[in-house]
Amino acid sequence: MIAAALITYPQAIVLGLLQGVSELFPISSLGHSVILPSLLGWNIHQNDPYFLTFLVATHLATAIVLFLFFRRDWVRILRGIGRSLRDRGIDPADADAKLGWLLVVGTIPAGILGLLLQDSLRKLFASPQYAAIFLTLNGVMLYGAELLRRRAPESAEEDDVRIAHTVSWRDATLVGAAQALALIPGFSRSGATMGGGLLVGLSHKDAARFAFLLATPIIGAAAVLKLPELYGSQGNGVRGQALVGALCAALTAWLAVRFLMRFFETQTLVPFAVYCFVAGLACTIYFAAT
Amino acid sequence: MRNDRVLTLAAVVVGTILIVIAIVYWLEPAKSLPGFFPGHQAGSSHHHVKHGIAAFLVGIACFVFAWFRTGPKRASPAA
Repeated sequence: MIAAALITYPQAIVLGLLQGVSELFPISSLGHSVILPSLLGWNIHQNDPYFLTFLVATHLATAIVLFLFFRRDWVRILRGIGRSLRDRGIDPADADAKLGWLLVVGTIPAGILGLLLQDSLRKLFASPQYAAIFLTLNGVMLYGAELLRRRAPESAEEDDVRIAHTVSWRDATLVGAAQALALIPGFSRSGATMGGGLLVGLSHKDAARFAFLLATPIIGAAAVLKLPELYGSQGNGVRGQALVGALCAALTAWLAVRFLMRFFETQTLVPFAVYCFVAGLACTIYFAAT
Repeated sequence: MRNDRVLTLAAVVVGTILIVIAIVYWLEPAKSLPGFFPGHQAGSSHHHVKHGIAAFLVGIACFVFAWFRTGPKRASPAA
């Protein structure tokens, strides 16, 4: 079978643009990449090895964009981790070190769950019907997080200092583990982490910032682990489309993260909750009827 | 103080075991893994690289925990 027949360049552009936005908006990129081809009648399936290879490239592009967007923060955070290792402890006044270790603690459960469950969950829930149902539930989850959230106290501290002071080790573990929900098509990684951030008392802006910082290593590592597939036989005939898709994903990911960091200064998760609930429900009904 | 030492010792032992497990995952195919290892599969020559990475990272985390626990008392990772 020729891979180019499975993913055309126009499809690669659409899927790349969609991936960049939906990976960072709390609306489930995996869910959209399962539902959209089915709605448009494209012969692309989630478990198709060529499509998985294509997704590796778009995810890697998204992770690189996230890293570049927060590059100054990552330099500070990595220096903080280095200081704490040198001093064999985390100075309570060193917010960069605390934030760095919070990200490590949050990444471990998500990484382990992802490594162990990714393939089986993908195979189990890869159908558009499941993805539509879980997209609806993602809307309920986002709205629930808004209803149950703790009010963030007013503070003049810098963003990272505020996050480091608000989030405990237990909170970071739970918020990080919540990322594993994104292994199920329809549930959003950033939605789960932003919702978790709100529940532990972060503001919308800080929850988004923490979610994006937490997402960078996990998305990047998942893509790098699968990168050999792009250069192996599975990448034959799809590398050009993957490159185009990755460039499109990088463009929309950059715009999405810029937009969201401003959006969450004043706005909430409710619009995304409504979108996921309505779109998920409509797709569920459509797939049931066809 | 005694609890601290026990925790540190436990972290080092668990960390060492996990890193050994990681090496076993990387070197041995699924058919040669001990029966109680997740991923053991008779007749399979697949290497569970990801299982090895997971075990290795948690092992490193155990060592980092022990490193912090034995550091100066003014700062604790659990603070």
